[in-house]
Amino acid sequence: MARIYGRRATSKGAVLIMVDVCIIGSGAGAAPIAYELSNAGFKVVVLEKGKNYTEEDFNKDELAVCRRDMFTPNLEDEFHIINERQKDGTFKRYDGREYNWSFWNGSMVGGSSNLMSGYFHRLKPNDFKLKSIYGEIAGANVEDWPISYEDLEPYYTKVEQVVGVSGKVVEHKFQEPRSTSNFLYPELQTNGAVKWYDKACEALGYDVMPTPRAILSGDALSRKGCFYSNFCGSYGCASGAKGSARAALLQKCKAKIVTDAFVYKLESDGKGVTKAHYKTNLGVPHVIEAKIFVLAAQAIESSRLLLNSKNKFFPNGLANSSGQVGKNLIFSAGGSGSGRFVFEKLTQEQQSELMQVGVFFNRSLQDWYEYEKNGKKYKGGTIDFLFEHQNIIPRVMKEVYDENGELLWGDALAKKVHKRIMTSRVLTFEVFNDWLPTDNCFVSVDEEAKDKYGMPVGVINLYGHPQDLKVGEYLAQKAVKVLEKMGCGEIDYSISASPPPNLVAGGCRFGDNPKTSVLDKNCKAHDVENLYVSDASFMPTGGSVPYTWSIYANSFRVADKIIASLQGV
Amino acid sequence: MTTFSRRNFLSAGILSSAVFLMDGCSLFGITTPIETLGVMHKDLFPKAQSLGIQTAPYMSLVFNHPRISKADKEFLKNGVKWLNEEAVKEYKSAYTKLARKDRERVLASISKTEWGESFIYDVMSYMFEAMLGDPIYGGNNKEAGWQWLAFTGGEPRPKEPYL
Repeated sequence: MARIYGRRATSKGAVLIMVDVCIIGSGAGAAPIAYELSNAGFKVVVLEKGKNYTEEDFNKDELAVCRRDMFTPNLEDEFHIINERQKDGTFKRYDGREYNWSFWNGSMVGGSSNLMSGYFHRLKPNDFKLKSIYGEIAGANVEDWPISYEDLEPYYTKVEQVVGVSGKVVEHKFQEPRSTSNFLYPELQTNGAVKWYDKACEALGYDVMPTPRAILSGDALSRKGCFYSNFCGSYGCASGAKGSARAALLQKCKAKIVTDAFVYKLESDGKGVTKAHYKTNLGVPHVIEAKIFVLAAQAIESSRLLLNSKNKFFPNGLANSSGQVGKNLIFSAGGSGSGRFVFEKLTQEQQSELMQVGVFFNRSLQDWYEYEKNGKKYKGGTIDFLFEHQNIIPRVMKEVYDENGELLWGDALAKKVHKRIMTSRVLTFEVFNDWLPTDNCFVSVDEEAKDKYGMPVGVINLYGHPQDLKVGEYLAQKAVKVLEKMGCGEIDYSISASPPPNLVAGGCRFGDNPKTSVLDKNCKAHDVENLYVSDASFMPTGGSVPYTWSIYANSFRVADKIIASLQGV
Repeated sequence: MTTFSRRNFLSAGILSSAVFLMDGCSLFGITTPIETLGVMHKDLFPKAQSLGIQTAPYMSLVFNHPRISKADKEFLKNGVKWLNEEAVKEYKSAYTKLARKDRERVLASISKTEWGESFIYDVMSYMFEAMLGDPIYGGNNKEAGWQWLAFTGGEPRPKEPYL
């Protein structure tokens, strides 16, 4: 590292580093701030619990990445308690270790953005004012955002250009306003079967929409274009085409990155955070002082750290005079479905098109981002279409049951596996709609269970509002029509209140009222003069799209606010 | 290659440890997980053998992998015991000593139970990991499993196994 950082030894022997800005976490909520602040000449340190990888370290080892979860903590060491709300109002307690229920996404420099599929959609203007537009919903805590789409638009554009989003703008009913006419980076190559989809949508009167992806289609931004290696989501990107926080930002800035650094406590006086305390894997303690602290450890862990940082000034948790820290946790509601193309119904040419691998499907539907039913206006959502993940082991394991639900083995299984894998392919869809914030879905910390660092683990209290399921069901039925029109068989889908661990937000919602929100509109804690939270925690509502683009955009916005603050503007 | 020396070392662990088979209250005999799982793999998916893929040795990695929970390993070991005890109950013989058609009947019988279905599912899951994982893990000999399904592994390939 070229920069010089102030250091001195504390009385307890721990090394104390003094910097301008200390960022806890290194994912999409953290990296834009590290990038912008360090480029502006400030001394920035990023504390990351996991390891640092480069493109050379990544491979497509299905066993390591997807079966042994090499990029997330071992649940024996770090875990969550999950309280699932039952119909009678009680909660059933699950220990993540016992049930193998993991909410970890990617403990590494760049966080889970390394492993994302990079389906990038902007929020729509109405997503910023759900309460005003659609009204209150019984049992939900819907609030308008304190900023508008217009406030965030320049930063969405910045992400397109700096992180790299490839795509093609097409006019459709819910196309959000843009300050540029098109994406800077052209669309990725697509599979031959995509034209069947386009034809089906045209016949149904649906708008064909290429899915924007945070993947470079050609060499740009000092990174390689996509290799079309056939494995993207869940895997680290060996080309650097995927716009992870690491590849796109952290590898290109002078922020000092400290790995193996688990921040377990933020020390504070009555006004601000004074120190971040962290431990290594071996339990060695370290301390950092900074003028500004930025928390971006992923929504659940950020709330957990604030709650675990309580002291005499903040007896209910740091920045928690409102009692709102951890509250209104949200996920992406919806679910997924699929249909199967079989060779018997296809020409030889179509069979060849279907089996092209490496290239993408990249189609979305947003025709029902808002819809009316029985005279009432509903906020709807997004449907993304994609081929079934190419991982071979789960595709084979899907075949071990016969049509009666009995286990198959031996020659009968071999025959079935061979036919299914060789002469058919599954097209899937994913539905994204709002997970309404409620009093019953929140983060707390456990009074007994502790992780390997000796800290109380996070408790995830789960509840899905009934409207989430109704909207998801409505959207799934639209997606089914597309699959039917395309000639798929075995069409099935599942809409549930099961939370996707990689699509989590809320817990430290921002707002203008310090009594009902944790952060102000700049994502600075109302209670603390030098603490910002810049991961997805700030979202009062999450929109009906994957969050990552909005997290990136907001983090770039917050970076500007921090720079202004440090410059005394 | 370090992978194989480590594998040979590990195979002397849990996989080769004695599993005591009870017939009611009395000791019937002794087997080992490797012996039973080896036979099971051949029964569950003989195609692997016909492709020249040995899947059973991979189980030593499973039993020693820090990312596979103790509970999952214990369940596999218990499954070996219960499978054999079912064979003893029905045929007065350990599973591995039975004729093929009788082993088939034992598998069919336990597959109707909750534990038996889970056990067979888990065994097959690890067996397919060996057959269809990267060859660097010792199974999927010369990518024969992938070739059988016209599957192309993703690039880049791992340079070393994740153990």
